[in-house]
Amino acid sequence: MNALVEARNLHKVYKADGVETPALRGVDLTVQAGEFTAIAGPSGSGKSTLLHLLGGLDRPTDGEVWLDGQRLDDKNAVERARIRLWKVGFVFQAYNLIPVLTALENAAFVLELRGRPPAERRQRALAALAELEMGGYAERRPNQLSGGQQQRVAVARALAAEPAVIFADEPTANLDSKTGLALIEYMKRLNREKGLTFVFSTHDPRLLEHVRRVVRLEDGRVISEEVAG
Amino acid sequence: MWSLAWKNVRRGRGRSLLTSAAVAAVVALMMIMYGFSGAVVNGMFQNLTRSTGHLILRVKNADKIREFERGLIQDAPALQERLARALPGADVEAMLEVPALLAGEKRSRGVLLYGLEPGGRLMREFVAKKLTAGGPPQNGEEWSAALGRTLARALKVKVGDGVYAFVPNTSGIGAAAFSVSGLVAFPESTIEARTAIITLAAAQELAAPNAASRIVIFLPGLISPARQGRLEQARSKLAPLVPAGFELLTWRQAEPAMAAILDMMTPLLLIYAVIFFVLAGLLVVNTVYLGLVERIREFGVIIALGADRWRIMRLVIIESLLLVLSGAAVGGALGGLAVWRMSHGFSLPGPLARQYAEFGLPVVMYASITPAQVALVFAFAVLTALASALWPAWLAGRLEPVEAMRHVA
Repeated sequence: MNALVEARNLHKVYKADGVETPALRGVDLTVQAGEFTAIAGPSGSGKSTLLHLLGGLDRPTDGEVWLDGQRLDDKNAVERARIRLWKVGFVFQAYNLIPVLTALENAAFVLELRGRPPAERRQRALAALAELEMGGYAERRPNQLSGGQQQRVAVARALAAEPAVIFADEPTANLDSKTGLALIEYMKRLNREKGLTFVFSTHDPRLLEHVRRVVRLEDGRVISEEVAG
Repeated sequence: MWSLAWKNVRRGRGRSLLTSAAVAAVVALMMIMYGFSGAVVNGMFQNLTRSTGHLILRVKNADKIREFERGLIQDAPALQERLARALPGADVEAMLEVPALLAGEKRSRGVLLYGLEPGGRLMREFVAKKLTAGGPPQNGEEWSAALGRTLARALKVKVGDGVYAFVPNTSGIGAAAFSVSGLVAFPESTIEARTAIITLAAAQELAAPNAASRIVIFLPGLISPARQGRLEQARSKLAPLVPAGFELLTWRQAEPAMAAILDMMTPLLLIYAVIFFVLAGLLVVNTVYLGLVERIREFGVIIALGADRWRIMRLVIIESLLLVLSGAAVGGALGGLAVWRMSHGFSLPGPLARQYAEFGLPVVMYASITPAQVALVFAFAVLTALASALWPAWLAGRLEPVEAMRHVA
């Protein structure tokens, strides 16, 4: 079976003021369609860097990234943006909703970028918000929502676009443990019921008890991979 | 995208309002300036053509001919009638300029006698409007003449006194007595010192029976130099009637210096427009750039979600367009209102009006702006928006999503 996401010998070195800081040192990873995978590890282990590379937000210093049969690492910024638009959903640690837009408009934003007609955007965004039990907050702006609610809108934004894979970079880091766990449960349900592929990073060990596959990173290397039975 | 751009413009409300207000002020100012310049140009044009006419028929190169007789249109009334028939509605008047020696009881001066048709437009312009004492010259048992005030002073004569005109070596009677019917004031004292106005009939009998030095044509309703097409149309209609050895000039050809002054207005206003819009553009650049810097994280997110650099650049440019066009709409409305009010007549403050009158500007002027000028002002506004957004848009388009999302404002 072809992997949906594949990283081959991935290296990433950041350069600043002549100083080279390696973030990833030869990571190999495959994610099959429909998987719910956690990338775990302490701060600075390279989790975010790995997700950025897998999602085409950045290019590796060395190695290959494949997404849904397309190679990402040799694409320029415009081509990668196009692949992200049609294939990838993102959920960020800081929610990163657009503050001037309502929850509904935020949820519909990727569809707007894709040029979908307004009626379809509205219908799909409302459905996604409803999945996350945020339908009643559709007209609220991000500053009128709690952190957990904002993150659910962010997940709805990714969900509404029906991407091949959703990368969630520490989605629970800014939430209390109860809200964080609830968010993971939402994501798991979407994975189970809709077959959505999730790859998320976390450094919170309590969340990992609820995830079937956990890939552990340390110092930019995969040190273990656990798949619960 | 437009909706997001508009929300972003409204987000920095104070700054956006200030910038839009500046653009509004520039647009309103430019429209008022165009309206004012239209008033000045039209006013000067009307003042000028009231005394020169819109078209002038004369002997070819008459201004270079020194010999009086050779510069004359013989049998002027017949030609005048043919021209009038070809252009119904136009006023066709003959005038005869006669160099003469004008003498009072004790003094004499070399003058130019202007023979004008009583009750004609030229007579109204040269005499009726400029009279400071007495009345216009009349045809009657005794000929009369209106003298420039300075000339009257030089000859030591006043209204009611007699003067004598001598025009030797012409086909007319050569000499005649006139009573001073009135005194006229001209803006320039040099003209005032050598001008006397008599009736056309008197001038013809004195110097050149049945002749004129020029035939002047006034087209009805031609109030702006911008309507050059109408002038050319009339000119080509009359061209076949112009006898050999004669020329039919437009006011532009007859008064090239004045035409050049009027033509200067257009480039002058363009220079002003460029300066004003560049200044407004700097403010727009500042606003758009600050809006960008404050929202780098947000741009990072939008790029991460799949917007490519062209879409990001478009967003910045749309924001700039909305900022400028909202200001331009308000400025256009205010400027339009001001021009509309000024189009019903306005006067400059006293001293300024007197100063401007020296250049042939009427006391009451009427603002006028053409659709092309309005379009030009708005085109400048759009250009300003685009030019101002270019640099911030370029910066935004080059943002790397990961770095941008880490940015702390």
